[in-house]
Amino acid sequence: MAVDTAPAVTTPAPSQQSLKPTPRWRSREALTAWLFILPSLIGFLIFTAGPVVAAGVISLLNWNLFSAPTWAGLHNFARLGPDPTFWSALGNTAYFTLVSVPLTILVSLALALLLNQGVRRVAVLRSLLLLPYATITVAVAFVWIWLYIPHDGLVNAVLGWFGINGPEWLISDNWAMPALILMSVWKSFGFGMVVFLAGLQAIPQQLYEAGRVDGTSPWNSFRHITLPMLSPALFFVIVTSVIGSFQVFDQALIMTNGGPGTRTTTLVMYIYRTGFENYDQGYAAAQSLVLFAFIVVITAGQFLFQRRLVHYDN
Amino acid sequence: MSTLLSRRRFLELTGLAGLGAAAAGTVAGCSSGPPSGAATWSMWSSSAAEKKVWDDFGKYVEQQLDVKSVATLTPSNGYPTKLDLQLVSGTASLVTALNGTLIPTYAARGAHRPLDDLIAADPDFKLDDFYETSQRISSFNGKTYAIGFDVAPTVMYYNKDLLTTQGIPLPSRTEPMSWATFRDLCKQLTKPGQQYGFTCAPAIDDLVSWIYCAGGNVMSDDGGRSTLGDPEAMEALQYVIDLFVKDKVTPPIKNLVTESSLSNFMQGNVAFMQNGPWQVVNARKAKFDWDIIPFPAGSAGSKPRVSGSSFAIPSGVRDGAELDLAWKLMKTLTSTGALDIYAKAGRNNPARLSAGSAFQPPPDNLGIVQEILAGKLAGGHAFDVTTNWNQVKQLLGQDLPRTFLGQVTVPDAINGLTPRLDILMRQHLDTVRQATARKG
Repeated sequence: MAVDTAPAVTTPAPSQQSLKPTPRWRSREALTAWLFILPSLIGFLIFTAGPVVAAGVISLLNWNLFSAPTWAGLHNFARLGPDPTFWSALGNTAYFTLVSVPLTILVSLALALLLNQGVRRVAVLRSLLLLPYATITVAVAFVWIWLYIPHDGLVNAVLGWFGINGPEWLISDNWAMPALILMSVWKSFGFGMVVFLAGLQAIPQQLYEAGRVDGTSPWNSFRHITLPMLSPALFFVIVTSVIGSFQVFDQALIMTNGGPGTRTTTLVMYIYRTGFENYDQGYAAAQSLVLFAFIVVITAGQFLFQRRLVHYDN
Repeated sequence: MSTLLSRRRFLELTGLAGLGAAAAGTVAGCSSGPPSGAATWSMWSSSAAEKKVWDDFGKYVEQQLDVKSVATLTPSNGYPTKLDLQLVSGTASLVTALNGTLIPTYAARGAHRPLDDLIAADPDFKLDDFYETSQRISSFNGKTYAIGFDVAPTVMYYNKDLLTTQGIPLPSRTEPMSWATFRDLCKQLTKPGQQYGFTCAPAIDDLVSWIYCAGGNVMSDDGGRSTLGDPEAMEALQYVIDLFVKDKVTPPIKNLVTESSLSNFMQGNVAFMQNGPWQVVNARKAKFDWDIIPFPAGSAGSKPRVSGSSFAIPSGVRDGAELDLAWKLMKTLTSTGALDIYAKAGRNNPARLSAGSAFQPPPDNLGIVQEILAGKLAGGHAFDVTTNWNQVKQLLGQDLPRTFLGQVTVPDAINGLTPRLDILMRQHLDTVRQATARKG
């Protein structure tokens, strides 16, 4: 005997049938959400999207701020090719990023792992380690200038205890950029450390217990449990750190003013000088757009890699 | 009685409060400008002592003009950028202070108006009362674009105690010593690691005085090419760099940003410091006896750079009552009365001959600055700059400091810089041509 197993369908009443369902974007929750997002959205449109569009327009002009702008077409972009300072600044920025980001992440991760081992007074330690990140870069930069003084500075004094004759940090062709990187790592590891610590504390302990039952070594436990579970946090820190590094400006301006020569002139510093010291707004806008394009491409690349390397627990 | 808010009511109230705050902010923003008819002026100010002087200027303006004085004070390093944005957005003050090195830059871009018509139409205003070098610094392309409030030549400070302790006779207060004598003295006074003969900043601003004294310049007379490679300029550059690298009579350079000749001198172990009289107010804090003497004379004599600052009127101030008030304000800010306030504060040498001396002892050698400016003693050379001086200075700031460190030789640095400097000089000439054409 055939049994009717079809699910019962509730037929709407005639009056209900005539009413169209409210679209999701018009629901009360959605409207509330839009209301809360609106200030941020307006801010984004005015202070982020607007300037990007404006930079696009200005990059096609010759404009010294005062005289009426004249049409330049793509000339400002063509100027980038033969400009040695632009390429040098781009190279310096890439060098800074390639060294400072991995170093910062290593230090942040190491400290987060340490603090996650049930260290006593972890809250106090965490706050202390976060202090450099919370301090204004300008103030920190001035302190580090003092630390880097070749003969009497603390950095070389400490190196001296180990029999190392420290370099003339900020005035050396070879050491000025590493000096900036060292300071930047110290300044920014706190942010990554807090994110990693939060990620570590969210990893279910059962996974480690299962690993211990299976006789997993600490290294394998880190490699096969901690790293995959931490990968979303790692991805977030890498993306934000790379973007931040490409925009490095204040510490280089204060500690070396881009020197010696152009060894520490960063791209943002060069853009600022072009626009506001040399009054060449069109060329500065073209440089900004190129920097923007670099950041977009690199970030997009990271998001592509994310699919293969980042593990989400859901 | 307590009232519970529903979620919906709470959201409504939150939204209304937000809108109210935004509206209040907008209204407040719209009404935050200076009152109509106020005498507005912009100035840099980086310390409480400087602010005090400008506050006194404000009181003097109100007393003289019987209108409200509104001064916009900005730290000196951010001043040009802020001024640019104010000029472009039409929110600049009626009168704005300008560093002399930037007057041609602003004038050539049409950011400030020439003042010759206002000067000619005002029988009460006498430009002759301003030192000639101040007038030169404040001019561009044959027109007066600004009126000076301070002007000063670079002089040589020296530590009297140090020389006396070493048994070295004090140098003449009126006769500049020769470069050879100066180098010998510096060597004699140097004890490596403990005591040094000389200090100056590793930058073109300080090098240029030596270049003028050797008969050279940064650019040719028409401003069309770099002359740093000419024998006179090279002789001067080599002389100073040798003091650092070969003779080692200077304190070691620790970094290229905060390196300060004043802080080196104030430690009490440096015999001579090249600097402007604007540092007198700070040098008075020294715990040793010191004085100032004329700048050492090169083959062209003692002709150090003369720097200064001025007030100018933005070109957005066009005519009628606004321009009238701007000119009255300009005259008041650069009047003998106002510059006497400046002089009494000892900030720097006033730009007017009729204003009082900025200096009380120390230094003992009072009046040397005025005598140099008046052409009675040694000499001075107005700081020659181009209409793109920021770019020239930026380029020179790249490789020239490396010569002070011995990383690059002077000929290598100049040979590397000259082609790029020449491009900037040609751009400067083009700008001058365009500015001339614009004036019709």
